[in-house]
Formats: sequence, structure tokens, C-alpha cells
Amino acid sequence: MAGLLTIILALGAVGLFLALPGGQARAVRAGQIGLAASGVGLLAATLGWLFPWPGANFFAGCALVALFAAVRVITHPRPVYSALYFVLLILAAAALLVQMQAEFLAAALVIVYAGAILVTYVFVIMLAQQARPLVHDIRSHEPLLGCLAGFLLLWSIAVRLFAAPVPPAVPAADLPAAGTVAAVGTSLLTTYVIAMQLAGLLLLAALVGAIAIARRRPLRDPLLEGEE
Amino acid sequence: MLGAYVLLGAVLFVLGLVGFVVRRNLIIMFLCTEMMFQGIIINLVAFGRYPLAGAPSFDGQVFALFLIAVAASEAALALALVVLLFRHRRTLDANALTLLRDE
Repeated sequence: MAGLLTIILALGAVGLFLALPGGQARAVRAGQIGLAASGVGLLAATLGWLFPWPGANFFAGCALVALFAAVRVITHPRPVYSALYFVLLILAAAALLVQMQAEFLAAALVIVYAGAILVTYVFVIMLAQQARPLVHDIRSHEPLLGCLAGFLLLWSIAVRLFAAPVPPAVPAADLPAAGTVAAVGTSLLTTYVIAMQLAGLLLLAALVGAIAIARRRPLRDPLLEGEE
Repeated sequence: MLGAYVLLGAVLFVLGLVGFVVRRNLIIMFLCTEMMFQGIIINLVAFGRYPLAGAPSFDGQVFALFLIAVAASEAALALALVVLLFRHRRTLDANALTLLRDE
């Protein structure tokens, strides 16, 4: 099992290295094929390990969409398309949360990310969008070392995960599914009420800080000007 | 069940990490931090839904809500900084910001 897992993850790492911006077109195509094979192999290994499982097909579909979108976010040379693929990733993650009976969290995720944060991202991208792709979008920074580090981290996690005992399955009836919003809200306003106040304080501080930063005039620092 | 979700969360986290290290566009780098948050949110909810011991609880979902609040704060500040840096340098290249680098 560990050997098969190593091969799958190594295939994914090599595919990601080839598919990152900066390679030749043929290498990018080969990298994408390698990545697709690795993702399907990873899912097959996961589902085979956990067989039988009622929601396996739904999980596999959502996970494939999420993995594809995540890879395209970090390999696409145009930032606008990266942001759009990030919306796709959010939607797939929200579907997975619905499968885990976290309906309120899924709705909050879509509203906060796909709504507010992505609109802000697209706004910034419009500010900085150029007609032609720029050199820092079509060149990567140390892709070999980055992919190697990612492979080592994921390999060490996955090998330990597959060696761990499978926890006992909890039937869906055991979760108090009726009104998850009410249950989450009760937990939020009783057990974690102080943490929720702190979260509000954090959001206020971030708001004030963002306004303070954005209102500053660009400095005419002689050191900065002279360096260029 | 738990293992599948945890593995997917780990893959998303690692993809975000690789993207953060490898890409040179500041906006893509911040998208990658949000991708790492996604992996952690999936992990938290999965551990709450399929606990290793005891009954399922909503604690994981509550933690994930706090994580969303932190992510929103981080995105607001980071984008303000990106706008400021862009006005300074007229570029989003992370390799152009070398003022503190050891030569």
C-alpha cells in the first residue's frame, strides 16, 4: 500500500512540476496527464481503502472537481482565471460540507468566499491587469524545490494516515441533524461566546487597519526611489 | 470516511503551500493561503462529524466559522497591502520586493 501511494504521489509531484508556468507546451500537456492520473489513483486508493461507504460516489465527484480546480489555481498563467477556478474550488468544498451535514457552514462559505472575498480579488486583479501576460506570471520561482517539499509533506501525511486504524463508522442518525443552524448557533453563543466576541473584535481591527493602510499616500521614500 | 476527508484536506493544503512558494504573483500567493484555509476547514468539519471517540458534535463547525472570520480579516489586510505595494512599485512581482533581502 505504501509503495503504491508513493508512486501515485510522485506521479502527482512530477506532473505538477511539469504543469507549472514556465515549461514548454508539450511538457505542460504531459504534466496535466500525470496530474489527472495521480488524482484518479489517489481517489481510487482512498475509496478502495474505505469500501463500502454510502456517500463514496458523491465524495469522489466533489473531490475530483476540487482537486482539478486547486491545481488550475496554481498552474494557470492568468490571475483572473485563477480567481475563477478558486470559486469552483469553493463550490466543491461547500458541497462536501453539505455531505457532512454542515449546511450552515457551507452557505456561509459560499457567501463569504465566493461573494465578498472573490469580488475583492477580482477588483484588485482589474487594477493590476495587463494586456499581455507578465514575466512573473509565466515564470515560476524554484518549481523543483517547491514540488519536492510538497511531495515530502504530503507523502509523510498520507503514509501515516493509511497506516492508522479506520475509526468506527457513525450512522447519520447519531448526529442531531434537525436544525443544524440552531445547534451551531447555540454552541456559538453559549460555549464559545467569548471567542465569538474576540472574532468580532478581530474583524473590527482588520477593518480599521485596512482603511488606515489603503488611505495612505504612496511614500516618496528616497531609498525606495534610488534603488530602482 | 474520516480518512478520505482528511486526505483531501491535506492535498488541498499542500497544493496551496506549493503554490505559495512557487508562484510570483502576489495575488495568486494570497489565493493560495485561502486554499490552505479550505483544506483546514474540511479537516475541522470532518473531525467534528466523524470523531475518533465519543458522539459527533458541532465543535468542528464552530471552529471552522472562526477560521472563516480570520480568513476574511487576513484577506482584507493583505489586499490593502497589495494595493499599497502596487502603488509603490507598479508591479505585483514578489521578486521585485527585495529591500530587506540580504545581498
